Order: sequence, then C-alpha cells, then structure tokens
Amino acid sequence: MNINDFDLKSISTHIEGTGDFISIDNDKCNLCNRCLVICIMNLWKKREGKIVLAEDYKQKCVECAACYQVCEPGAISFQYPAGGTGVVFEQG
Amino acid sequence: MKEYDIVIVGGGPGGSMAAKVAAEKGLKTIFFERGRKPGEKNSSGCGLGPRMWRSWPDMMKNLTEDKCPSLRAGRFARNYLVDKKGEVSAMILARPTESVTYEPAKSFITMNCYRSEFDPWMADLATNAGAELKCSLLIKGLIKENGTVKGVVDEKGEKYMAPIVIGADGAVSMVAKQSGLRDKWYHDHITLVPQYDFYAPREKIDLIMHEEALAVWWMAGGIPSAYQVFFGDGFHVGLGNWMQSWEKNPLYYLNYVVNLKHFQRLIKMLGAKPREVQAHLLPWMPYPEKTYANGVMLIGDAAGFPCPLEAEGIFPAMESAEIAVEVAAEAIAEGDYSENKLKEYERRWQEESSIGTEFDAGPQLWSVWKALPFNAKNMDWFIPMVSEALTGIFDWSEPHKVRIRQIVAHVKKYLPQAMPTLMSEFVPLFTKALEDDMGKLMDPSIMPTLINLLPKLMSLMPDKKKKRRRRK
Ligand SMILES: Cc1cc2nc3c(=O)[nH]c(=O)nc-3n(C[C@H](O)[C@H](O)[C@H](O)COP(=O)(O)OP(=O)(O)OC[C@H]3O[C@@H](n4cnc5c(N)ncnc54)[C@H](O)[C@@H]3O)c2cc1C
Repeated sequence: MNINDFDLKSISTHIEGTGDFISIDNDKCNLCNRCLVICIMNLWKKREGKIVLAEDYKQKCVECAACYQVCEPGAISFQYPAGGTGVVFEQG
Repeated sequence: MKEYDIVIVGGGPGGSMAAKVAAEKGLKTIFFERGRKPGEKNSSGCGLGPRMWRSWPDMMKNLTEDKCPSLRAGRFARNYLVDKKGEVSAMILARPTESVTYEPAKSFITMNCYRSEFDPWMADLATNAGAELKCSLLIKGLIKENGTVKGVVDEKGEKYMAPIVIGADGAVSMVAKQSGLRDKWYHDHITLVPQYDFYAPREKIDLIMHEEALAVWWMAGGIPSAYQVFFGDGFHVGLGNWMQSWEKNPLYYLNYVVNLKHFQRLIKMLGAKPREVQAHLLPWMPYPEKTYANGVMLIGDAAGFPCPLEAEGIFPAMESAEIAVEVAAEAIAEGDYSENKLKEYERRWQEESSIGTEFDAGPQLWSVWKALPFNAKNMDWFIPMVSEALTGIFDWSEPHKVRIRQIVAHVKKYLPQAMPTLMSEFVPLFTKALEDDMGKLMDPSIMPTLINLLPKLMSLMPDKKKKRRRRK
C-alpha cells in the first residue's frame, strides 16, 4: 500500500456553502511560485504565465493559509470560509 | 448590538480556558468558534502535556475515556534514527527519566487525544461555568474607536461590544492583524505542519505499540524529522518546517516517511489505513512579539506561545488564558482598558509564568531545533554519528577491542562537520540554561587545563587504520 496512490480528496471532508475566501491579485504577483509548491492540495496552477486558483478550491482547501503566508508581495488574500462551512477534521 | 464584559475570538484550548475563567469570575463572557463545534478545525491531535494535570488537577481529573474515547497515554517514545538511504540505523526507546519530579509526568510524556474530542470538552467547561458560546460563526472584524478596540463584528454584521477583546483565534489571527499587532508572521517564525491520520484497530495498537504511543522519526537525507502520535483507534504522522524551507510540496516529504520500508511494515502489522489529510500553521518562534494593545490581548497561538523547542502549544495557550483574564478582571474593576494597563499581561507572562521561563532560553532552543531536526546538512552527520556512538559496540564483526577503535575513529571522522554546529548551538544553550551556576563552571583555575586537554584528547583518538592486505 502506497500513500501516493491515495486520492487526497477522498480522505478529507468539506461542508459546502461558503462564498469565495481566497483570491489572487495578478498585478501584485511576482511569479515566485511559492504558493504552487507549498499547497498540499495542489490548488494553485500556472496558466499562460499567470498563477490561478483551482476552480473547485472550496471543495478541497484545508484552510491552512500557507499560500497567504508565503506570498511576499501580498498578492494572495485569504480569509476563513463562512462559519460552519469548509474543511472538517474529524480526527484532528 | 450586544454588550459583554469580555469577548473572546476562538474556541480552541486558549479561548475555552479564557471563557471558563472569566465566567467563574462572574464576568459576562461570550466566545466564538467558526467551526460547527470546537475542535473540528484543529489538527494538532494532540499530546497534552503533564503540566496541565499539575496546574489544573481538579479539571484534568475529569478528562476520562468516556468523554474522550481517543485517549491514549504516551508513556514511551520510540526514536527511529533513519539514514540517508532510508534505513532505520538505530532505535532508541525513551520514557520519563529519573530526574522528572512529579506525577503524572513520571508516568507519561504526553496524554494523546483528538482535538475533535478535547476542544468540545474544554468548551463545555466554559459554558457550564456560564459563558456563552456561538459556533458556526466567523468573526470578521474588530470595532475600534479612537484607536481602542471596543468589540467585534461577525460575518452577518452583528456587533458584540466589550471593553476587553481576547484574541484566541490561533495562528491565522484576525485579531492580531486588525489590532495592528501583526500583519503576517516572519517566515522563520511560523511553520506549516502537514499530517495524515491513519485508522488502526484499537486491539492492534494495544498489542503492537503497547505503551509506545509516541515516536519521532529522526531523518537524514534532506527530509524534516517526523512525529507519530497514537490515539485510541488511530495515529497521526506529520512533519513541519518553516515557510521558506519547503523546496518541494510538503506532502512529498511526508510521503517519503510513510513510504519508508520500516513504516510500511508498521502499517501492515497494525492493519492501518489513511483516514484524513490535514495541514495547519504552527507558530515556532525564538521570542513572542507584542501581545497587547488598547482593549486587546492575544493568547495562545495568536500570540506565538508554542514552545521554541518542540512547539507544545496547548498548555501555554491555557496558561496565557488564565493570566489574560486575571488582568482583564483587574482592568474592568479599575475601568482602565488602555495599553498601559494591559501591559501588565505581558509583564506577568514574561516574569511569572512558565511561558516566560521557556522563552528566556527561546532564541537558543529555537536555533538548536532549526539547526538539527529540520536541517538536512546537519542530520546527514548527526544520524550516523549518534548511531555509531550509541549502538556500534553491539557487533560481532571484530574483537570488541578492535570495534572500540573503529567506532572512535569513525565518530572522529564526523567531528570536523559536527563541532561547529555543536559549539555554536549547544554551548550558547547550556550557557543560558546554567547561567546562574556559570561562575562555578568557569572557574579560571580549571579553564586552561580544559583548553589544553581538548586537542590532546583529540590527538589521542585513533584515525581509521589503513586496511592491511592479507596474502592469499
Ligand atoms: C500538527 C500540529 C501538531 C501539534 N501538536 C501539539 C501537541 O502534541 N501538543 C501541544 O501542546 N500542542 C501541539 N500543537 C500546537 C497546538 O495545536 C496549538 O498551540 C494550540 O492549538 C493553540 O491553542 P489556541 O487556543 O491558541 O488556538 P487554536 O487551537 O488554533 O484555536 C483557535 C480557534 O479559533 C477558531 N477561529 C479562528 N479564527 C476565528 C474567527 N475569526 N472567528 C471564529 N473562530 C475563529 C478556530 O477555528 C480555532 O478553533 C500542534 C500544532 C499542530 C499544527
């Protein structure tokens, strides 16, 4: 059994219903790629020379805020999702 | 608009403790949690330190398995030393040593339980004491008048006013940000800790791990060292590093540990299955920054209190909660909520609490941790050197006299790499920890002898012998 074989989504639980809570201002982004590297759920992608957030991020984000924290130019904004929604750690 | 004596943002161990103490003092108290219940947003799944039983015995004696089925005492810790090739090169079993002074610290290193059980238990203590708890509610902002915090506003625009607001909202603290105390953390003051929870049948953990309910995987080969914590019917494995130190996706490193041959064998023996993936930020700093402003105090992770060596954060969150509420009660009695009054909070945690004592050697402890478990260059000599020194003698490859020579020569080979780190990290740490007794140690009459003795000793240590060829 190899942990790499597991679909991460299948071992995380999310409650739906939040509005947007992460965004990127591409004018401020300096393309350092740190958000791409640090997101364990791989929610940041580079498309046509621009960093974009996965469309289904609300169903996958574990709300660690690492992307926000590593972003030196302050291009990424992060707030927690609406109360009672988002990731749930049943064995946290 | 609702009015309170004290408003607490966050329903973790810090927030619940603050709410409990405040309610017991008769203050009109409310605390908020964005999760549907406390604990479901936290992933520190957690080793509770024995100091909690010493500081709050009446409270902690009620934390029993019927309330927290995941409880499992971490009596022993396995330390796996893993070499560059991913082989376990030595294993050291640690338990509380003879010098530990009190119960239950003599009986366990940590008491493990899931936060999804512990946090609600703590929050119930607060509501039973009379505090009001609102869950599923995100606090969005602080209400300020003339530079003083006067209350908070939730995501629906409802306002909650109080002369004192306590920021118990963890590592990504809105209260710290909006009160101007901190925008973002410095990169080397905060770590990211990804973690897997594995399910494993309780009976198998009982049988196979028995009392060894903790483990550290000390890693060479450029992988941060990992921890493993066993609960009633499962375990966590996780690792952390400061923000700028991740060269690859954090799960690459964690998967490396999980995929070690030895780890995979453990998974098979335990019949374990991955159950949950988690990640959380964890402050890990040499010394906390300012923890108060007009009308506001920060406690727990929001203040940066996890200990600078191993980041134990639950006890300091609860201890700081108590101190903050004491000061809040005095401020309310005096009608003075200014920064000048609340400065007393910082003075007390610095001078009269275990948090202050811990951070007194904070820069040295933090630096040692940074230089070793999370530093690939150093672990590549640390692991083989320690394995050699501690276990090399148990070997039948040569007469033991020859083995001793081989071991000493081998350890000596690593010393040029090891000495600079050992000198720059451990000397300052011991100097700090022993500062009150330094006079005796630094006795001028013995220093010259010591200084002369060291090179002499080094020259006596054998080098590796050239292999003698034996003729056929
Ligand atoms: C992986 C990991 C392992 C750890 N292991 C241990 C360990 O074994 N032992 C130990 O002692 N410590 C451990 N720690 C540290 C410990 O988890 C923290 O120090 C501790 O949780 C701090 O408590 P707190 O109450 O200050 O903050 P938190 O526990 O983070 O609680 C903050 C609470 O506030 C809520 N919240 C945040 N913002 C808002 C908002 N705007 N509105 C409403 N609610 C909000 C959050 O949902 C959360 O429940 C670990 C940490 C991690 C990440």
